[in-house]
Order: sequence, then structure tokens, then C-alpha cells
Amino acid sequence: MPAGARFVTRRLLRGVLTMWFAVTVTFFLLRLLPGDPALAVADPTMTDELRAELLRDYGLDRPLAVQYWEYLTQLLHGNLGVSFRQNQPVLDILLERLPWTLLLAGSALVVTVALGIPLGVVAATRAKGTLDRLIQVGGITGQSLFIPSIGVFLLYVFGVVFGILPIGGAMDDDVYGLAAYGSIALHLILPCLSLVLVQLGSYVLTLRSTLIDALGEDYCTLARAKGLPNRKVVWRHALRNALLPTTTLVGLQLGFLVGGAVLTESIYAYPGVGRAIFEAVGQLDFPVLQGAFLMLAFAVIVANLLTDLAYGLLDPRVRTS
Amino acid sequence: MRTFRRALAVAAGALSIGLAATACSPGNPDSQAGGGSGSADRITIGTTADVLNYNPLVGNSRTDTWVTNLMYPRMMSMGMDGVRSPYLASKWEYTDGGRKAKFTLRDDFTWSDGEKVTADDVAFTIDAVAKEKIGVVAGLISSYQKSTVISPTEIEFQLSQPDGTFLENVGFWMPVVPEHVFSKVGSVQKFANDKDWVSAGPYKLTTVERGQRYVLERMENFPLIEGGPKTKEVVFRVFPDVNTEALALRNGDVDLIANALPPPLAKTLEGDSKLKLVKVPSLGWAHMQYNTAREPLDKLEVRQALAAAVDYEAIRRVALQGKAVSSNSSVLTPTLKQWQDPSAKEYAHDPAKAKSLLTGAGFKDGNGDGLFDGLSLRMIYDQADPNISKWAQLVRDSSKAAGIEIKLEGLERNTYVEKYTARDYDIYAGSWAIMENPPANLALAFKCKGFINYANACDPELDALIDQARGQLDQAGQKGPIQQAARMITDKVYDNVLYVEEFTIAHSAEWSNFLVQPSELLSIVNPVSVAQATKG
Amino acid sequence: MTTELVMPSGGDTPPPAAAATPAAGGLPPSESVARQTWQSFRRNPLGLVSAGVLILLGLVALAAPLIADYPSGYGEEVLAGPGAGHWFGTDDLGRDVFAQVIWGTRVSIVVGLAASLLAIVIGVLVGVAAAYFRPADLVLGVIVDVSLSLPVLPLMILVAALAGPSVPTLVVVIAVFSWPEVARVVRSQGLAVVPMPYVSAAHVIGGSHLWIIRKHVLPGVAPVVAVSVVLTTSRAVLSEAGLSFLGLGDPNSWSWGTILHQAQRSGSLATAWWTTLFPSLAILLLVVATTLLAVAYNDARNPRTR
Repeated sequence: MPAGARFVTRRLLRGVLTMWFAVTVTFFLLRLLPGDPALAVADPTMTDELRAELLRDYGLDRPLAVQYWEYLTQLLHGNLGVSFRQNQPVLDILLERLPWTLLLAGSALVVTVALGIPLGVVAATRAKGTLDRLIQVGGITGQSLFIPSIGVFLLYVFGVVFGILPIGGAMDDDVYGLAAYGSIALHLILPCLSLVLVQLGSYVLTLRSTLIDALGEDYCTLARAKGLPNRKVVWRHALRNALLPTTTLVGLQLGFLVGGAVLTESIYAYPGVGRAIFEAVGQLDFPVLQGAFLMLAFAVIVANLLTDLAYGLLDPRVRTS
Repeated sequence: MRTFRRALAVAAGALSIGLAATACSPGNPDSQAGGGSGSADRITIGTTADVLNYNPLVGNSRTDTWVTNLMYPRMMSMGMDGVRSPYLASKWEYTDGGRKAKFTLRDDFTWSDGEKVTADDVAFTIDAVAKEKIGVVAGLISSYQKSTVISPTEIEFQLSQPDGTFLENVGFWMPVVPEHVFSKVGSVQKFANDKDWVSAGPYKLTTVERGQRYVLERMENFPLIEGGPKTKEVVFRVFPDVNTEALALRNGDVDLIANALPPPLAKTLEGDSKLKLVKVPSLGWAHMQYNTAREPLDKLEVRQALAAAVDYEAIRRVALQGKAVSSNSSVLTPTLKQWQDPSAKEYAHDPAKAKSLLTGAGFKDGNGDGLFDGLSLRMIYDQADPNISKWAQLVRDSSKAAGIEIKLEGLERNTYVEKYTARDYDIYAGSWAIMENPPANLALAFKCKGFINYANACDPELDALIDQARGQLDQAGQKGPIQQAARMITDKVYDNVLYVEEFTIAHSAEWSNFLVQPSELLSIVNPVSVAQATKG
Repeated sequence: MTTELVMPSGGDTPPPAAAATPAAGGLPPSESVARQTWQSFRRNPLGLVSAGVLILLGLVALAAPLIADYPSGYGEEVLAGPGAGHWFGTDDLGRDVFAQVIWGTRVSIVVGLAASLLAIVIGVLVGVAAAYFRPADLVLGVIVDVSLSLPVLPLMILVAALAGPSVPTLVVVIAVFSWPEVARVVRSQGLAVVPMPYVSAAHVIGGSHLWIIRKHVLPGVAPVVAVSVVLTTSRAVLSEAGLSFLGLGDPNSWSWGTILHQAQRSGSLATAWWTTLFPSLAILLLVVATTLLAVAYNDARNPRTR
């Protein structure tokens, strides 16, 4: 299958190119913005010698091009550098936050898809009906909610008024074994719910419109003409095709879920990567920022690559175009 | 270690809860924990930020201070009016006409690894600070030459000139670090001190989970509390949003909030019977400083006009909700009763006077828009400070009424630091946390090229007064020249002191026995207070 | 918060018929299509109501000085609940929240529109160039891929924090991180238009590239652009609110995000609900209306849902 192999190689190459570009863009973006990284490394009260020594330690005294080359070679060795502020490898800092982010983003994604598919199907099969309009308005309203407002409201109601959910954090102190998982699950409910609320709409709307198109395609008309019950046409035939574009959403939403959940993580005091990024901005911690951006970019690029490849293998028209 | 295990368990749990629960569930390192043996197993303290630096000599954020204060002793502690009291040191005195200063230490402090806390640790610490010029302490001990360890409990310092501020500066500002740990790290300033902590305060840091919690364990033999600290474990929990933090306090997830509450929040919590609010006076002040190195702020009339355009009363009543007192526009605040100048009088809020001063200085309103032409000033402040960003708006609006345009630049912390370090502003708005020792502080803040001289003031007459005060060894002798200097600062508008805040700290009503100390950095999270607090 | 709305597809895969992608072919909209679209749109109550809401918000923004005094200074009643004197209550300096929301409409919409227009211009240029000049496609495609793979909100935070807070900063920052969305949609629509027989015919009769783009490609992508303007504006409004909320807004002007930020800072989110409810509702109203309008417009253009 030479065409297929060529397609895969081309997509892989493009993924690598995109990654290199992302490295370069973030590197220079950080350095060219106002904001002196030397300030993050060295205190203004320090002696000049110590200041110079610190700048040398972090390689900040060398020309930008040299720093860039150094960063690239280190990156190829899997070294993301050392944090300006925490005296720890960037990778360790990110890995400490990553499990929480994966848990939050993963659970939000699963719930969203689980709710989004049936809602999208209902909306599409009853297009322009009252239920369809309700679902549309509901989904879009969810998307437009301002997370901090809704977050404090939920915390107040479930944490203070009913007292059934904990306020902030990812787990309680000193809980072990099964109790630890219970605690983690309880802490997860509200932040997960908030994320589901804001992203459910895009899944429902995308699925709705692709499904409407799919239902109008010849094969569905044919299936119906053959006397297949409508329910089967929708779930067996139309949905299968309509789901493909929806899966690409997953890849694209990933970046948002992982890095863009800053407000969610702040309001719920959840120790995820988004908050780490926000704090790193406040501390001018360039290595951490850059590491986090690259990690997110990498995740999105890989997710896109996988969906593209899946797409290409499933739909031969893509390969040849 | 525990952090990693927990992280691992979470990742595994996300995949398969059942399997992970047996395979790699977070282990229980301490079999007694969570056993509920009595009322005070743990006190949970809320904070809004992570620890940035565990090195007590370098770290300077509020959370850094709260945590490291519990771990590293200082020579002196401080009473409500800023007066020093013994901590690690039991006695201190000047000899040789102020050219020598001496501390006598307690002999019952021990580092957590079993070594005694001795005068050698003190000598090592002050030498490191002086040699590497570490932080604000280095600026406060400029007269330090060398130290002599007389015995394990006695140390004497040689000073370059008589300096009556030296002992109090070293005593209160310099945490003592263990020589046997810090001497092995090369540069002390660069040492991160982020694991295997050795401490001699009431608590010792044991576990760090960034973004979540900092766990400190009791040091049984802490000598200042009979029988050791009452509570076994202190946990600092991080809540980036103060609203969430307050909810956690209200539902009991948190026992105490370390950061001062924004005044409107303090007002709403007043009625909650499950909470106790503690009033803590500030040792500093909130102020604006006009950059005298820039036109037209080099003109006294312009600075006076700016001072007359501020509605001080409204700032305290509305923006601070009455949780602040006037300092009568003097840098000698009412908290420091022994320094206060009774003749000080606050600048009057008088827009008409401001206008006439500016007209006198040659400013005109040619285009009739109600604003003087060519008088648009940039005011920088830290946008994360809830009080300043509120009164900055009041200052802008009331100045506009006096024909002065002020453009607010509420900056993100680092940009703010960068700008004020470079003195790149017309007006600087900020606040001092602790300015408890006027002769020492005024030198840093107002002498020519002073480290924190944000007005860029350079007035030989003022410098002479401050130096004269520093040469005196007792407060009685320092008071005269200091009050004169303070009056000059007010008259020349080198500093516009707006108010002295009265912080509100909230804790659960189940806890009692806290010891209140002044300033947000000490308040009720100072080491003795946390160690002696009891529940129920 | 969420800057993602209805997402187009990734890479060079066929675009799904999401709300931002018209299902009808690449023909330039002819008069009859436009009339049919309008006929269909008129029958959709959601679309009509949304359009009405947007017009109303626009009027509020224009007439702000007639509706309420500019909120400044202070008031004696701090954090007072909604009542006759203050319909939406007062904030932590005793200022009228109603006046803030009214004046905030102005800045929020201006920031939204300006950022959106800037993003549209860049996005259309890049998208059309990528679709029309095939060799440029790879490079531009990679650029778009990179921009889409980087986390948008953290990057906006970074740039806004370091560049200093002001309305122009916000506009530029939001635009810079919003155009790749537009470029991607425009490109995929452009790819459908460029191979059309009438475009090839224009080549044959010797039309210059610019002329062809102006005459054929741009009209072909115009419907997508129309939808993009609406969606990008609403996203820009949300982004502005998020950035202002984090303290990166312009302290010298009122936007909905600024009101929320001040409420957050005062610690009164849970108690003084009026300080957050009304600006949040304003944001909600605007974003829901724009999105519903876009969906209704697409439904009206799509013969299958018409």
C-alpha cells in the first residue's frame, strides 16, 4: 500500500515540522517579550558577581542564538531544562502536576462524550423541534458560562449549604488506600462538572450538524427505503460517519482542557498544569513555561496525528488528496 | 517521596481503581496518623500561594515567611508595639560606645538532627548575609564588620561605627540557619534548601505537594512552649482564590486563613458564629511616592498639589471599610507609639488648593477640558493587591476633580518589580509590611540612592538627620532627629502615607490561645502562636 | 473561559459540517440563495431573537451615556443588594453595578469586535493564500497547526502580563491567538472553491491572481467569514472577560471582565452575588445570542435544514 505509506510518512513529517516550529515560536516569544528573565533568577539586591554567576549558570549570558541551539540539543536528549525558581528539573515539576490534569481532563472528556452523543442524536433527529432548540440553547448556554462565577456558586451550594462536597484541593490530608480514592473522586466532582458544562455544547452542536448531513446522504435514504427502522438508520449508519469529525474535536479540545483550565483550577484550588503555567507566568519562570507549552503542543499534535491517520485509513479519499 | 507515590497512585487510579487500590495505593507512613487521638492532631492553615523559596535568608513572599518562620528561629520576637522580646537570644547590649554589640543565647535550642543551636550558627549566618549581600538584611547591617564567638551561648559583633539600630535589625530580621548544613552548599544565597530540612523552630517541614499542601511536623523539644508545641501537625493548604479559601474556612476544611482578608470579605464574615476574627495592626503603611527625579514631580508645588488631591478620609472609610487608621501623613505611624510625633497633621483634601498650586507652578488648562495640559501621570501598583487596586481608582478619580490626570497601571507582579526596580514610573503606589525601626528603615527608604528609595529623594539635610539618629544608641536619643526627619519627609512630600491598615485574620472558633503579633507576616501564624494554640 | 466553540476539523482532513462550515457548495451566493436563506432564517425564532438581542446590546453600548452615569468615585452604600436606588446593587466601593454593566457593554463589545476584525483580516489573508497558492499551503498549514496546538489562554495570559494591561494590548493579544481558527475554516472552504470550473475558466481567460481572488475566491468564502466574525467576536468577549478576571484587563476602563475581577478581588463572590451575576449574565447573553445566530444562519443556508 504505497499510497498509504506515503500518506503516513507525510503526516509524520508534518507533525515533526509542527513540533519544531512550536519549539522555536515559544522560545523566541518568551525571550522577545518585555520581561527580563534575569530578574527571575537573580535578586536586584545581589552583588554583581553573584548575579553574573547565576546568569551564567542558567546560560542567560550567552547570545540568544546560542541559547536556542543549546535548548534544541538538550530537548533532543529529553532535557527540558531547570526551573528558574524552583531549582528542579522542569520535567519533574510538570510530571508532579500532570496526573491531576490527566485525571481532571480525562474524566471531563469521558462524561462529556457520554452525555454529548445521545444529546446530539436527539437534537439531530428532531431538528427544529422544541427539544432540538432546548438542547441547542442549553449547550450554548453552558459554553458561555463564566467558570469562576459558576464555580463559587457550586462550591457554596454543595460545600457550605449542603456540606456534602469538599471545598477545593484534589484530596484530603492523610487518607490512605480506598479512602484516598474516595476522597479524590469527591474532590473531582465539581471541577469536572464545570468543565463538562463549558464543553458539552461544542460536542453536541458538532454532532448535531454532522449527523443532519449524514442523515441526508444517499446511503441513509437508501437504508430507510429498504425499510430499516429510523432508529437503526441513525445509530447504525449515520452516527458512525458523523462520529469521525467529532473525534477530531477531542484532539483539539485537549489543548484547552489541559492548558486552558486555568480558571477552573484556580477557583477549585486544583493542582493541575494550567495553574502551574499561570504561576510560572507570575514568576517569569521561562523554562517551566516553555516546557509546559511544549508538552501541551506535543499532546495536541499527537492527538491530531492519530485522528488524521485514523481518518485517512478509514476514508481512502483523504489519502490521495 | 510521598508526593510521587501519591501522583503515581492517582495516575494508576485513573486507569483502574480496583487493581491500583491493592497494587500501589498510597502507603501510610505513620500508623498513628488519622487515629483521632485527642483534639489537636492537625491545624490546617489556608494561604493563597505556594512557597517560592525554602531558604529563609532569601525567600520573601508571605507564604515563604510563614512557613520558614516555623522552622528557623530568630534572636528576637516582637510585641504589639514593635518592641523586641527575647526568642533565641535571652539578652543583648551595646558596649565600647556602640562599636561593639553582644547577644547572649538560650542554651536549650536544638536542631532537628540533634545538633545544638549555638553562637557559631549565628556567626555563620551573619557572615554569609554580609559576604553575599543577601536580601534586605544585608542592607540593614551595613555597619557590621566581624563577629567573635565568645562561648556557645555568647557572640560579639564589631561595628564600623556606633549603630544603635544594629542589634534590633539582626535580632528581628535575620533567621538563624544551621551552619552544619548551610556551610556545605557553597553559595548560601543560591541554596534552594528544598529537601531534608533541618530546623530549630517549633515545626519542621516534612512533605511538600506543590499546588496543594505543605505539611510540618512538631518538634517535641521546642523550649519556648512548656511540653512542646500543642498541635502535632501544621498543614498549609494552597487556595489561589480568596473566595474559595473563605468558603473552606466557613465549612471547616480550613482552621485558619493566614493572609489578611480583603475588608469587604472581613465585613461579611463578621456575623459568622463559627468564626473568630482577630485584629492585627500593621507595622508598615500604605503610600504613594512621587518620582522626584522626573519632571514635573521634581517641583514641590506639584507634589503638594497631588497630595491635596487625595481624599484620605474616603480611602479609609470606603476602600478599607474603616479597617485602617490615619498616620497623619507621617512615616512615624501610630502603631509605633514610642516614635509617633503628636504634632503631625494629615494633608488636607482640598482640590481648590491643588488647582491653585498647579496654576502657581505654571500649569494651564488651555483646551478647557477640566484637566491641566501636559500633566498626565502614570501610577504603577501590583494589581494583585486588593486594597491598593481599589484606592488607586479613588486617587485617580479625586485627582481628576483637581485637574490632574492619573493613568493607572495595575501590573502583574513581576512587571511591577521590574518597573519599580528601574524607578520607571511617575507615581509609585504600594505598601510596606514592616517598618518597625525608623532610624534603620528611613535610611533605606529616603537616603540618597537608598535601596527602597522609591521617591528618588536626595536631600543632604534629610540624610544628615537620619545619620544623626543612627549614631545614637538608645531610642530616646534617636527620637529627636527621627521626628525632625519625618516632618521633613511630610513637608517635602517625599512620601504620601495614606493609612495604616488594621488587618483582619479569621480562624475557626474551635481554636483558641493564639498569640497576636503585629503585621500580616506575624499575626497569629507566628511560631509561638501556632505552637501554643489549642483546639476545643 | 472556553475559547473553543464549534470546532472545525484538524489537519488536511475533510472538514466536518460543523456550525462554522457551510454545507452548501462553493458557489458564490447568488441572489436566490440569499433570498432562500433569509426566508428560512425568518422562520427560526431562535435566530430572530438572537439578532434582536445583539441589536439591543449594540444600542446599549452606543447609548451608554444616556442610560447611566459613568461609574467613578465612590458611594456610601458599599456592597448593597439590588434595590430601587441601585437596580443591580453596588460594588465594594459603593459604585452602581448597573452603570458598570452598561458601560462595560461598550468596552466588551469594542474589544470583541476589534479583536475579531483583526483576526478575520489575518485569517482570511492566510486562509485564502493557503487555498489558492498550493506551495504556500504547507508552510501556512504548519503555522496554523502550531498556533492551534499551543494552549491559547495561557499564551494570552503570558503576553498580556508582560506587555502591560491596556485595551489595545487586549485587542492585539486576542486577535493574534484567534486568527488561526479563521484561517483554517477559510482555507478549507477556499479549497472547495478554487477547483471550481468557473475559477479555472477565469484562469483560461487570463484573469490575474488578484482579480480571481477578489472576484471568485473571496465571495466563495464570504459566508464562512460572516459566521466567523460572529463566533470570533463572542470568543473574544469571553477571552477578554477571562483575562480581565485574572487581573490583566485595563484598570482605566470598564468591561464586564473588569467588574468580575473587582468582585473576585474583594472576596465577595459568594456573598455579594449581584456583583458577579449581572456581568456574567451580560456575557452569557452576548455569547449565546451570537452563537445561536451563527447556528441559525448555517441552518438557513443548508438546504437540508432549511
